[in-house]
Amino acid sequence: MFKELDPILHSQLRLAVMSLLISVKEAEFTFLKEKTNATAGNLSVQINKLKDAGYIEVTKQFSNNYPQTICKVTPVGVNAFEIYVKALQSYMHPNSNGQ
Amino acid sequence: MLEEQGFSTEQSLQLIQEMIGKAKRSYISRGFASIVWGVLIILCSLVTWAQAQFKFTIGFDIWLLLLLALIPQIYFGIKERKSKDFVAHDEQTMTFLWTAFAICIFISSFYNGMYGPQSFASLIMMLYGIPTFITGGICKFKPMILGGIICWVLSIVSMFTPYTTDMLLMAACGLFAWLIPGIILWNRYKKQQAANV
Repeated sequence: MFKELDPILHSQLRLAVMSLLISVKEAEFTFLKEKTNATAGNLSVQINKLKDAGYIEVTKQFSNNYPQTICKVTPVGVNAFEIYVKALQSYMHPNSNGQ
Repeated sequence: MLEEQGFSTEQSLQLIQEMIGKAKRSYISRGFASIVWGVLIILCSLVTWAQAQFKFTIGFDIWLLLLLALIPQIYFGIKERKSKDFVAHDEQTMTFLWTAFAICIFISSFYNGMYGPQSFASLIMMLYGIPTFITGGICKFKPMILGGIICWVLSIVSMFTPYTTDMLLMAACGLFAWLIPGIILWNRYKKQQAANV
């Protein structure tokens, strides 16, 4: 039987954000926007969904009088990402894990 | 632009790879610091060698250039850090590693004062190898791993050579540990910039 894919991660923009955040320690909103080419509004909505799921931490602060949003993946997020990738692999190679 | 719609498992894996690749390309080093230190170490070593070999003096300690070079390095380092919109995983490790190295080099200058320059070059080359080898390992950058190993081999060789030859070996350390890896990094950075245009 195939593992069910996490619906929070199985969305293009949220998965892109998680993949970027897994690769760095933390990143600003501008970094995520530039790399995903998403609109600020859409990205903001998806970031909030990841935050509500406990997958990322979002810190808002000021730097040189400019608002700054910093995102960081949580241990729960790392775990969910690993499970998601394993599930994807089991879909692509169904015989490799005995399923 | 990424759309909110259903997508296949293949597309998911492709997207993950693409994003991880994009993030990795963001933290390709310019190699600027590496080139500057490589050039300075080579210059200071060769001038010291020439003074000992041809019996003349330039009137000041050429190695003080390393201290002067710290000022622009720190300035550009802070400027670059402020302009970046992400923090890489190994940044803190690197900062601690190179700070520890700088402190060791500073302490070793007292060693030079107490015990003389004869065995000093071997010690310095051994120290050069440590951060270079570890940085190469963390960044999976083979030229720096090799550079670190070369520093250690030359450190052993310098135990059996006179002081003047040690300075040539130290110049070789600057070349293999920093200048060549720095030029490789700079070329990579330029290629990446060209690909992004």
